[in-house]
Amino acid sequence: MSEKLIYIHPAPVRIWHWIHAAGIVALVLTGFQIRYAEMLGIMPLPDAITLHNYVGFVVIADYFLWLSYYLGTGKIKIYFPDLRTFVPDAIRQAKYYGFGIFKGEPNPHVMTPDNKFNAMQQKAYLGLMFMLLPAQMISGVFLWRVKGYADYVNLLGGIKIIDTIHVILFFFFASFLIAHCYLATLGHTPFAHFKAMFTGYEEHH
Amino acid sequence: MKILKKAPRPFSLCFVFVFWLWPALALAIDNSACLDCHNDEGLTRENTHGGHGNGSLFVDGIKFNHSVHHINGILCVDCHADIEELDFDKDVPHKKELAKVACASCHDAEAVAFTNSVHTKISSKGITMTCYACHDYHYTTHLAAASVADRENNFCAKCHNPYQGHDWLPKKEEHFAFVECTVCHAPEVPRHIHLKFFDLVTNKFYKGEDILKILGIRYDQFMPLVDTNKDGTIGKDEFEIFELMLRQKNVHAIFHAELVAEMAPGAHQVNRGVAERNCEKCHTADSAYFDAVTIVLTKEDGSVDHHQVDRSVLASYSLRHFYIYAGTRVKLLDLIGIILVGGGLCGVLGHLTIRIVTIPLRRKKDN
Repeated sequence: MSEKLIYIHPAPVRIWHWIHAAGIVALVLTGFQIRYAEMLGIMPLPDAITLHNYVGFVVIADYFLWLSYYLGTGKIKIYFPDLRTFVPDAIRQAKYYGFGIFKGEPNPHVMTPDNKFNAMQQKAYLGLMFMLLPAQMISGVFLWRVKGYADYVNLLGGIKIIDTIHVILFFFFASFLIAHCYLATLGHTPFAHFKAMFTGYEEHH
Repeated sequence: MKILKKAPRPFSLCFVFVFWLWPALALAIDNSACLDCHNDEGLTRENTHGGHGNGSLFVDGIKFNHSVHHINGILCVDCHADIEELDFDKDVPHKKELAKVACASCHDAEAVAFTNSVHTKISSKGITMTCYACHDYHYTTHLAAASVADRENNFCAKCHNPYQGHDWLPKKEEHFAFVECTVCHAPEVPRHIHLKFFDLVTNKFYKGEDILKILGIRYDQFMPLVDTNKDGTIGKDEFEIFELMLRQKNVHAIFHAELVAEMAPGAHQVNRGVAERNCEKCHTADSAYFDAVTIVLTKEDGSVDHHQVDRSVLASYSLRHFYIYAGTRVKLLDLIGIILVGGGLCGVLGHLTIRIVTIPLRRKKDN
């Protein structure tokens, strides 16, 4: 079988990705500990809150690393689907995940440095990186200093509204983490995409 | 006794008044007699030893009339008990050096608690704490309705900076704003959540009388109006209807919730090393700290009516401006969480299962 290595993930993207991954795992774990303090015993509540706050700021800083890289290099466009082909591409990709993958059909999307996301990934990551993650970061900062940002918190309807946004997104990110890790095993081998995220090179068959 | 038995009833009453009550009333020194002199702002003592800090002997009569002691009919001479008579022929119509007021003669339970507190024990370091180091001399008011800020600023924060010594505590600013010091520092004292009406437009708390005026009812009509099922507790649905009533009256108020200690003697028994440091005592869904939730209606005299509210209100969106991690979490969000995380997990496991089951199919195709 012929193999071709393509450099898909540049170093800044890989650094951002793994900091982000570790950060999200830590935030999800500490988030569960904070919300269900009486049920879980991962760590004491004050430690969970302190760690959650520190890691939260690391993830925020990491987000700006991502944004700076993609805006600076102009590669941000890989997150925006081509509206002319988006619907058929997404249907084709969904069919692949739903049926074709089980029958051994090839992935209809071929990864290139300029087009590394398939239509479904583009849609998911667009919402994630430009809407959900910023909403989570902003609501997190408000919860971090409720008194300090009291005017904004009141303007948005109160702390419970902010908390509701933060918690629903928290559950979403927890769910996304599971799905993301699973989808990463759908390469030509279960660890191919994981390996590529360390080396930067994806193997094409 | 025989005489009394034989005497007609009106005569008996006159007898009691003339020989028993009248002398007592005649001897009692009325507050106005004291304020004749002490309402003068310029009244000071030459020798400030034992005086009121700056030597002023001025007592603001208006403020005193709003004090809890005056409201309860306590006379000046009830506390300054060594003044037996006033002789206005003298420069000073009573003894120049009066004995210290013995608060404990009435507040005995508080005095016992205070004696067993760190504030008495510091006398070994040469520091003497008196009741009026925290409580005002003449203007002590009802505290039951006081906000956490007032309770802290007028008491503990006079000497203690809460930002020193709470290094371990996350979210200090929020804790100090919503939790009274004694809730943690006198953990045996019962505590409850106070719900007060806060106007976001004027940035002020509504007094009970304001709310009642808006609703057009008297104090005794509040619970009959709000507690529609007459079980003595304002339930979640009743609370929402009450909120709606206020909105219909164009009141843009939020319910401001604070965790405060009850006005119990034990609040004076603050000691080192006994403060509650177990966060999970509060930050847990079934915390006993939130068993008692009350709406506080302040009356004109400063006293308050506490009206019991079901604790489920704390975890509702009626209290949008109050949230305690884990403690008052919205149950609906937990359900959403189960659906989101559980759904994600089931989807992944389902897909993985089909992948495993269809391995032979793909092997056959590869061959």
